[in-house]
Amino acid sequence: MERELDVVGTRRPMLDAAAKVKGAAQFTDDLTLPGMLYGKILRSPLPHARILTIDTSKAEKLPGVKGVMTGQDIPDRKYGIVPKAKDEYALARDKVRFIGDDVAAVCAIDPEIAEEALELIRVDYEELPAVFDPKEAIEEGAPLVHDDVRGNISASLKKEFGDVESGFGESDFIFEDSFYSQPVNHAPLEPHAALAQYDPLKGELTIWSSTQIPFFLRRNLSTTLLIPESKVRVVKPKVGGGFGGKIDMYAKDFCACWFAMKLGRPVKFVYEREEVFIATRQRHPVYLRVKTGVKRDGMILAQQFRAHVDGGAYNSTAPLIITLLGYFLMIPYRVPNLLYEGYHIYTNKPVGGAMRGHGVPQARFAVERQLDMIAERIGADPAEIRIKNSIHAGEPHPAKFTINTCGFPDTVSKAAEAIGWDEKRGKLPFGRGVGLAGGSFPSGVSNMSHISSGAVVQLGRDGTVNVLTGAADIGQGAETVIAQIVAEELGVPLEDIRVTAADTGITPLDPGTFGSGVTVRAGNAARLAVMSIKKKLFEFVAQKLEANVEDLVAKDRKIFVKGSPDEGIALPVALKAYQYADLPMPIVGRGSWMAPATEPTTLLKEDGDFGPSYSFMTQAAEVEVDPQTGRIRLLKMVAAHDCGRAINPMLVEGQLEGSVVGGMGQALYEEVVTERGQVMNPSFLDYGFPTTMEMPVIETIEVETDDPLGPFGAKEAGEGTQISPAPAILNAIYDAIGVDFTELPVTPEKILKALEEKRAGKKGGVHL
Amino acid sequence: MKHVIALNINGDTYEVLVSPNKTILEVLRDQLGLMGTKRGCDLGVCGTCTVLMDGEPYLSCLTLAMDAVGREILTIEGLSQEGDFDPLQRAFIEKGAVQCGFCTPGMILTAKAILDEEGKPTEESIKKKMAGNLCRCTGYKKIVEAVLSVATQTEREE
Amino acid sequence: MEPKSIQEASSILLDDPKAKILAGGTDLLVNMKHRVEVPSVIVNIKRISHLDFIEKKNGAIGIGALTSLKSIYTNPLIGKNLRALTLAASSVGSYHHQSMGTIGGNICQQNRCKYFNQSHWWRSSRPLCFKAGGEICHVVNKKGICYSSYSGDVAPVLLALNAKVILETKTATREIPLESLFSGDGKVPLNLQGGEILREITIPQEASDGFSTYVKIANRESIDFPIVSIALWASMKRKEVRVSFTAVDRRPVRAKGVEDFLGGKELNEETLEEAVGLSSQEATPVKTSLYSPSYKRKVMGLLLKSALKEAMRRAGR
Repeated sequence: MERELDVVGTRRPMLDAAAKVKGAAQFTDDLTLPGMLYGKILRSPLPHARILTIDTSKAEKLPGVKGVMTGQDIPDRKYGIVPKAKDEYALARDKVRFIGDDVAAVCAIDPEIAEEALELIRVDYEELPAVFDPKEAIEEGAPLVHDDVRGNISASLKKEFGDVESGFGESDFIFEDSFYSQPVNHAPLEPHAALAQYDPLKGELTIWSSTQIPFFLRRNLSTTLLIPESKVRVVKPKVGGGFGGKIDMYAKDFCACWFAMKLGRPVKFVYEREEVFIATRQRHPVYLRVKTGVKRDGMILAQQFRAHVDGGAYNSTAPLIITLLGYFLMIPYRVPNLLYEGYHIYTNKPVGGAMRGHGVPQARFAVERQLDMIAERIGADPAEIRIKNSIHAGEPHPAKFTINTCGFPDTVSKAAEAIGWDEKRGKLPFGRGVGLAGGSFPSGVSNMSHISSGAVVQLGRDGTVNVLTGAADIGQGAETVIAQIVAEELGVPLEDIRVTAADTGITPLDPGTFGSGVTVRAGNAARLAVMSIKKKLFEFVAQKLEANVEDLVAKDRKIFVKGSPDEGIALPVALKAYQYADLPMPIVGRGSWMAPATEPTTLLKEDGDFGPSYSFMTQAAEVEVDPQTGRIRLLKMVAAHDCGRAINPMLVEGQLEGSVVGGMGQALYEEVVTERGQVMNPSFLDYGFPTTMEMPVIETIEVETDDPLGPFGAKEAGEGTQISPAPAILNAIYDAIGVDFTELPVTPEKILKALEEKRAGKKGGVHL
Repeated sequence: MKHVIALNINGDTYEVLVSPNKTILEVLRDQLGLMGTKRGCDLGVCGTCTVLMDGEPYLSCLTLAMDAVGREILTIEGLSQEGDFDPLQRAFIEKGAVQCGFCTPGMILTAKAILDEEGKPTEESIKKKMAGNLCRCTGYKKIVEAVLSVATQTEREE
Repeated sequence: MEPKSIQEASSILLDDPKAKILAGGTDLLVNMKHRVEVPSVIVNIKRISHLDFIEKKNGAIGIGALTSLKSIYTNPLIGKNLRALTLAASSVGSYHHQSMGTIGGNICQQNRCKYFNQSHWWRSSRPLCFKAGGEICHVVNKKGICYSSYSGDVAPVLLALNAKVILETKTATREIPLESLFSGDGKVPLNLQGGEILREITIPQEASDGFSTYVKIANRESIDFPIVSIALWASMKRKEVRVSFTAVDRRPVRAKGVEDFLGGKELNEETLEEAVGLSSQEATPVKTSLYSPSYKRKVMGLLLKSALKEAMRRAGR
């Protein structure tokens, strides 16, 4: 960047931080409307059963109950976040497919009565044999979770890039290893919630929902409940964390809307914490098998990768996860020949869906662990082998990704240096170790039909700015980042910007917060909108100043000729003059942005850019393992992230720090434990994600590569941040105690067992 | 059977009608419209329901309303008056300790209780006493930094 | 109900066996929300005066049942000579639980099990368990018996300190060793006679005359119940060691085998190793939680080793 930046690149508190510290920020459950009713969902206690009858008569008669509904009351329409993989009903119609499946809903004048009414609903089930293990589910004769899906495989992908046979043929060493990544819950502090209101005179439905995808929600409500999309308005209040768990539609959304329409009263559904654990989504557990061929010097020549995804009872993002698992094997390392096979398998268990990284953490876990194992086996240094295999900007790519900027080798060396790699790796006393892992993530997914974002920017007469964006801020700071981009582009202070966001009735379209694309996509749209304003203004001012449009600059609330800031016009003055010159006021700017694709790309059909740009990262961990008790402590994590340019370094740090602790949870503390399909730990007590006591020292390093496609050079820094921590930690555990763990999470119990086996002479590590 | 009770919240007295099993969290949110105190798990683990009772951090989801009679209750709304900010609130804003904001009221109140009790707590003490407030967004680092920054100020404004 | 005296509270309990005492509420309210405890009436005993104290009584230390856990671990009298109690009280739950929770409540907490501590709906996937009013225990798949674990932090320490408890009804008071309070029955963990309420804990003087420690192993370093914890009291002078474990059985366990072995002996590497070897026989944990019984037994030995080593180090000064 040649120019100096005033707002972009500065540390700013979030625009709504003040409201949040006052407790004034409104989350969905904080909203109340006159006459509001409360809804509750009846859930299946059985993992697999046919629904014979549902008798709601007693529930309907309970005083205070205003409505009871089952799947038969709403249109026979399936929904799904991926249109071609729709397989779920808002409320079950034919069968229930997991313990927790939505069966019926009640709304009443208070939540206690609604709870009571649930118990008065009698469901007659015919219990069916269930299947819980994906390996069993694909076998001949296994119970079918969905009667029309053979072998319980609802999505699969097999793709070859290059020629693996010949790649393996040329390899000096070939290694094959198996890995397992466990189910993890997003556990956002705010439970899922929805409040719906219906205006019978206009036939208009409004829903406030704790969601990451307001526009997808609108579309799905429309197609599932058969209301015209133009009559549905989705408003996103403050969202208390999502991490991917609020990318999807749930019974709460459909039922709140349905009741609101039927009863003409507002209806609110708020999930209990237990429901969030059981009946929303989770990170897909995946069984991974990786075969890698390398040359003597550690150069990767070929890789064969097979993933069995335990999808749970419904698809959710099935086609996406098996694609992401595969495509992101070819970045950040050059893998010239790759054969990938991925299967999404139904089981009678909670449903897997998008979770921060969405498949890439699982795949990366396997690859990064194996890379360390390979390095050990061939006598190479884990940091050097990664730098050696790194792709570079501008290089042709087997899947035709366009890599404009790549700071990966930089992230490796910086992370290694910060953790003290040279002094520590292989040199610390038994029980202490360091390890690192790399990764890469797209800045938004463009390899999916129509993912674009729009923005409208309105300039007030005094130069203050109102930005309309569809971007869904879920606490990561999307609105703040967009405001910073607008402020920078228009040359005004951040305080002059106001953002209205994520209201399908007011703001332009944005696909939502997933795939880590908001900064690039919505940020670019906002920037383009400002540029369209500048065009009009500059033309006018150029005339006034008798200058060339190209020589004008907007900065410090002024417009002036480059190099002569004191001879410009103040923005409000320019606007006033504009008005008096009889030019159309108000000034409105519009912009839309979509990642460029060389060919129209739809998922699974063509190769091509997965995203407009790719971030790169390396995280390096230092751990301490107590060989007596097996307890593991993450002492320090260094997170080095190439995010192009940090629009707001403080917010990027926040993402990195949160991801480190999230990744640590995945590595050492978290697992959704099921027994015959029943979640045994659906509470914050038993699903123990880290507290302040578990905090490591966290050091964040931002590597800036100034990407040409991102607004002011930015790339993602939201999801890719959580790809590397888990393998980095397990790689460090290897350095500490010489045990290769190939399964997540690593618990003290597993450490003790592994150390015992090691002492007994058996090969350390867990094998599948 | 319901009872009328008087509750002292943020310096004001409220008369409410409650049944014996109603928690103070329910009264705050459902009857008094004080939404700053959150319901994250309803089982006393996440700390988003934190209120101060006579200056001590309590889990309002596990405290019966009738049991709160005669106590001085402070919620996040009562922390700063007339548009001003408590030093803790200011520190949270400036240090970037706020992301989604759902854990924030609970964090700030617990921090206030710690600072009022200890004056200049160490980082270790802060971490230990705030461990009952869960956060999924921030990784805790900036939250602890914010609290520490207020703790190490030479003079705390009241 | 808010009785003003123990006698009054006791009357209520006697008249109505389904009445439940409310102290801090951190145990009862959670169980009420799960509907595993459905009291007919809640008896709030916090308005009863003179139950919140820590006092020296003829050399012994008396602690009122309503003393908060925080008051206990911040009290210099306790901190001086009863280190294990400070450690245990400050390890219960989180700072909030320590402010709200009482020592009496922590001692008398309900037993725990992964099939019991779940919501009403969750439990409807299985037949009602024996502890919750049904017939069968899902842990061992047998009828008429409950294997839920006692998981409190404070009780094992008090056991190792040979504490006594004073139980009071409307008409009578009795003082018993704390050990006698625990029935070993998962379904009804406490041996309380009709209307009895725990009033006071007495820690004998001799407890202050030794080394004590409490070491807790849990998933995280806050909030969680123990996976296994050990409380140890040792007097090198008297060559006496007292050991207690929690979360390994239906009651907090005094490791009598270990104690008998170490009694009268010099504490050194050899005796330590042998004692550790005996520890896994002191209880038979079953799978009432996510942690395996074999891991718990292993941890019992590890904790005993670590606590004994600490005792040796202290004695070495």
